[in-house]
Amino acid sequence: MEPREATDPGNLSRAFPHSLEQPENLLTIEELKELPIFAELADTLLKKIQPHVLVAEYRPNDVILREGEYSDAAYYVARGVVEILLAQLPAPSGPETARREPVVTSVAHVAEHLLAKSERERAIGRAVAEGGTIILSDMPSEFRRDRQILLEKGELFGEISALSRYPVSATVRARTEVVTVLIRTPALRILQRSAPKFKEFVDRRYRERALATHLRNVGLFAACDDKFMRNLRERVELVSFEPGQLIVEEGSPAAAFFLVRGGYVKVSAKSGAADLALTYLRKGDYFGEAAILLEEPWPFSFTAIDSVEVVKLTRADFQELLTASPHLREDLWKVTVERLKQRGSAIRHPVESEYLQMAMETGLIHGESVLMIDLNTCTRCDDCVRACADTHGGIPRFIREGFKFNNWLIPTSCYQCTDPVCMIGCPTGAITRPIGTTEVSIDPLTCIGCGNCSRRCPWGNIINVPYSHPVLKKEIQLATKCDLSLGREVPACVQMCPHGSAIRVSFRDVGLLPRLLPAVD
Amino acid sequence: MKRLVPKKPVWLAASAAVGLFALGIAFWMRSGNPWNPGRVAGGLLFGVAAALLVLSSILHPLRRPLLGFPFGTAQRWTQFHIYGGCLSFLFVLIHEGFRLPSGTVGWLLLILSAWATLSGLLGVWLQKWIPALMAGNLRVEAIFERIPELIAKLQAEANALVEGSSEVLDRFYRDDVEPALAGVQVSWDYLVDISGGRERRLAPFGRMAAFLTPEEKPRLEDLKALFAEKLELDAQYSLQRVLRLWILLHVPPSVLLFGLMLYHITVNLYYR
Repeated sequence: MEPREATDPGNLSRAFPHSLEQPENLLTIEELKELPIFAELADTLLKKIQPHVLVAEYRPNDVILREGEYSDAAYYVARGVVEILLAQLPAPSGPETARREPVVTSVAHVAEHLLAKSERERAIGRAVAEGGTIILSDMPSEFRRDRQILLEKGELFGEISALSRYPVSATVRARTEVVTVLIRTPALRILQRSAPKFKEFVDRRYRERALATHLRNVGLFAACDDKFMRNLRERVELVSFEPGQLIVEEGSPAAAFFLVRGGYVKVSAKSGAADLALTYLRKGDYFGEAAILLEEPWPFSFTAIDSVEVVKLTRADFQELLTASPHLREDLWKVTVERLKQRGSAIRHPVESEYLQMAMETGLIHGESVLMIDLNTCTRCDDCVRACADTHGGIPRFIREGFKFNNWLIPTSCYQCTDPVCMIGCPTGAITRPIGTTEVSIDPLTCIGCGNCSRRCPWGNIINVPYSHPVLKKEIQLATKCDLSLGREVPACVQMCPHGSAIRVSFRDVGLLPRLLPAVD
Repeated sequence: MKRLVPKKPVWLAASAAVGLFALGIAFWMRSGNPWNPGRVAGGLLFGVAAALLVLSSILHPLRRPLLGFPFGTAQRWTQFHIYGGCLSFLFVLIHEGFRLPSGTVGWLLLILSAWATLSGLLGVWLQKWIPALMAGNLRVEAIFERIPELIAKLQAEANALVEGSSEVLDRFYRDDVEPALAGVQVSWDYLVDISGGRERRLAPFGRMAAFLTPEEKPRLEDLKALFAEKLELDAQYSLQRVLRLWILLHVPPSVLLFGLMLYHITVNLYYR
């Protein structure tokens, strides 16, 4: 990763305009019209996107985007040259690589090592093409070890990370004095909906650069060959849905298979007058297989919980996929049976559905590790809070207050979201999540107390506390949050609860929720 | 009934097995020669075991500084504390040969052991009963130390709410509501009736509604909601206070027991 150091907060508006709540550097409609990328757009559309488009200037060597972090904007280079850098290069194939690889002791070790590496690459949207070229999902360029990658005026980058909430695949640094136009996610969504040419452009980029990587992330397509992928690339449709929008309704004819590439989708079934939540789907999940396999109408309803991006495959293409890969049919039947079981279970035990509904309404579905306290057994001794304070130099990262659902208290403590929006726009990169890990942590030495992350956290789980900064040599409001007691096997709050009332729950695996969170007696 | 079910049955089973085994050994040894505490190897053995268990129970507060060592988690520490404490009392009885002590120190040791064990078990029961009672019956959940502050806020909200209201509502507030909002009202009654007579105490709001104009009724409803929340906070405070006060029944006698135990060991070693 890039070296990080504390930055003068005065420079923030220049280098990190997206960290500002009310940006002053918005572009006027006339200025927008002058940009080739917006030249053909109608004034009404420009007015809609104008509050979300701003200009940002960078000095040579300023970091614009950092690899592995999250971004909420696409960047259009209006002036100057930017350079793309990979902090951690995927290993090239060939004998030279073999020499540089760490010593491995067993076949299992080799497999684990290779698997971990490819997973990391996929997680940040990178793929290694034939000949060692590295395809970066959100950059308009292939990366080669022997070639410097520069982007000049008129190039757009970062749109896929912003739209699909994938970590940025490479670091982008200003090579010269650079002026970029930041098109923030709301504007990107408006353009996706209302500007066919822009949508076509972004979709084409997605098909070319990210689709294959994203599909291969899904177990279903992992074994498909390149030819099949290329074929599929042109046939899929990329569709967006607004929060609350019905994607498909239970009982309607099943005509497509969907792969979620961004956002959350609620799966529900009707039971009398009630609409029972069965589960929810997230990035990488898919739906539609049950209806197609069973040759019946949709057995469930699917609704967008937030802004959802899906890859749509027609029934005919999906059938072709099944013919080409017979093992898929077997796997899909297993998934189908599991979902039908979920439906039966939800109808028999509506309380379980209640938990899912609560998780969707409160945002807990984003949580990779949510602290929950069973009030039935909690003696309110506050040992959890004390243990947290012991681990963090006397400052606890949560208090035993929050919202209550049945017998559970969900304290104001970081959920370790799957897509941590708090990481967007940190001016110094103090807030990080190493790829493949759960904990999002803040480095106190690098944090400058700008409050960007705490303002971005939708759940108010980042707290600013007074701190005498040893590098800046002044008092700042340090951003603090739960880091799962970094370095300890079990978070201190859980380990030190004398009654086992504090647990950590991942809302990624919804199937486990009813067992983890039993209904109140 | 569920409150009596052990959280970790394996600890209960293991402790019961150890206890039965200890009793078996004690009776087997006793059958050979009359039990003389401290002089017969068996008696001494159980005395040492009891002392070690009391010592480890006294170390219970170290679970956090020791990061759960050697048990790994605080919950296992607690289980060990509970079952170890019970076993220590059994070992004391075995050590005594199931006879009444002859001296003052002996009596004190026996009484304190029994007290520490029984008060501990009372604590276990309270800690199982009260949290479930609160979770099942109270909508409000608050940190004990913050409850007075929360009540002060409620009172301020209520004051602001009745400002500019009709004379009838104002008088009702000043006479019947405001005194009840002034600070925490602790009561043991919540142990018997967690609602604290909620329906009875909210009944005047219903009666008052008849005297108010339709425009003022929502204000009365808001006031009633604040009052109901205050009652819940009182219940929270009173019950959490019981969970804290119980410690006073258990810890000081246990520390005294530990001190006397040290005295007992020292004297016995010195005059042996």
